[in-house]
Amino acid sequence: MAREEISTGNELCSMAAIDAGARFFSGYPITPSSEVMHVASDLLPKVGGKFIQMEDEIAGICAALGASMTGVKSYTATSGPGISLKAEQIGLGFIAEIPLVIVNVMRGGPSTGLPTRVSQADIGQAQYPTHGDYASITLCAGSLTECYTQTVRAFNLAEKYMTPVFILLDETIGHMHGKAVIPDLAEVEASVVNRATFSGSPTEYKPYDVPMNKPAVLNPMFKGYKYHITGLHHGHEGFPTEDATQCEFNIERLVGKINTVAAENDGLDDQPDYEEYMMDDAEVCIIAYGSIGLGAYEAVNKLREQGIKAGMFRPILLWPSPAKKIAQIGARFKDKIFITELNMGQYSKEIERVIKRDDFTTLFKANGRPIAPSEMVAKVKEMM
Amino acid sequence: MRNSLRFTGVGGQGVLLAGEIMAACKIKDGGYGLKTATYTSQVRGGPTVVDITLDDNEIRYPYANEGEIDFMLSVANVSYQQFKNGVKPGGIIVVDPNLVSPTAEDRKKWIIHEIPIITIAKEEVGNVITQSVVALAITNTMTNVLPKQSLIDTMLSKVPAKVHAANKLAYELGEKYAKEAMTN
Repeated sequence: MAREEISTGNELCSMAAIDAGARFFSGYPITPSSEVMHVASDLLPKVGGKFIQMEDEIAGICAALGASMTGVKSYTATSGPGISLKAEQIGLGFIAEIPLVIVNVMRGGPSTGLPTRVSQADIGQAQYPTHGDYASITLCAGSLTECYTQTVRAFNLAEKYMTPVFILLDETIGHMHGKAVIPDLAEVEASVVNRATFSGSPTEYKPYDVPMNKPAVLNPMFKGYKYHITGLHHGHEGFPTEDATQCEFNIERLVGKINTVAAENDGLDDQPDYEEYMMDDAEVCIIAYGSIGLGAYEAVNKLREQGIKAGMFRPILLWPSPAKKIAQIGARFKDKIFITELNMGQYSKEIERVIKRDDFTTLFKANGRPIAPSEMVAKVKEMM
Repeated sequence: MRNSLRFTGVGGQGVLLAGEIMAACKIKDGGYGLKTATYTSQVRGGPTVVDITLDDNEIRYPYANEGEIDFMLSVANVSYQQFKNGVKPGGIIVVDPNLVSPTAEDRKKWIIHEIPIITIAKEEVGNVITQSVVALAITNTMTNVLPKQSLIDTMLSKVPAKVHAANKLAYELGEKYAKEAMTN
């Protein structure tokens, strides 16, 4: 069953967070993400949740991490400059294994860049937002519906893998206003994943004593299970350690619990990691994601009207990338791959890494303007 | 059948709302509608453009395709000059003549109607805020893209009850001026 909402991407994102069980938001407003925060401030108190506008971006993520440690599903929202400010605490989220959903509604950068203009320039930032070794989970919404469904998914992945999860929107998708067909609340609630907890004796509780490639088991604070939380490398109870074997195990586990698990299971959950449109008989493949996928869809239709068999591949789980599928596309389409993104080629580098070739055609833009279907059509026609 | 409409003004004039109402009305009537706005980081006074795309079939790309716009309405010269070229040759453009100055060349390329939208809202309705509803009525009267009653109902659902009468009047006046402009 499904319901229809007439709304914007940012509003749908916050509605989804609350439907997925989020009961805490802290952050600091920034264009073009502020409506995520506005809706949180409106809806959270109505469901017994808490909303705090903090004094800055750094405090915004600190409070959200703290809330999450008490077992409350938490989120914060910002744009690229805010992610830069939050970087150190995102690292704490990675190493201490604190679930958190971080919404990034992308705008032009670097620095304060182009506040009101669309961009996809934070793809690399989402993969490596902070120093150190870890693996990021990054989802990218490519429609109003996905602003809702992928936000729900982000909360479930954060709880399942005990890690910060990025959901990327952009100015276009965050602010566009139209129809979203979204699952019924009962269906969303039935899909909700809650973090694992330890129910044995508190004296035997060792939150970080878990096997390779498994997430920590962090009980909510203030419930009688004591442990230490630190950004330093830590042992089984969370206290700092410099033991070489333990430190090596920690990092291998942090990376492996996401990257190895995704590679072995062909993804992190049972949700689609990409969309394929008109790919069955396609002779040329357009690769696009986020709001650029909206134009790519129209470009495929226009090309087909002109007799060119185009198809679209649109990744949704950007990090870790759907590498197996990308490799298949590389083998099938040879030099008939066209990659278009609103940056100077940040995801093209991942495609190149996976298919081990760079013989694709590209259209990159970083001036704050969208890429029109007509521009894609012209580029594809040059390839044929 | 796809309808591509564009409203242009400056930040703070309320051009966003009329676009939202049109998209919502099309969706409520069982079709697809998208509204998207492009604006600058100026709080007020920066050029703003709102693209509205309506279709019976699914639409994904939310911006108008440049050169394919059927109808544009403009209440600020800066944004008129910047965005007029998106309108297809022979397309309709409505301007507030007190604020926008089309060139002689523009008048050859497009069908340009002059309606003092802001003055109508300010003096005849008595509330400048209703300019977006005057614009809405002009747009729908000239393009006939949405059923009138459905559009009025959608509009009323988005404005506070205490201003329903003023907005109904704004709609009627917009429709009247549009019909007059079309017969001239």
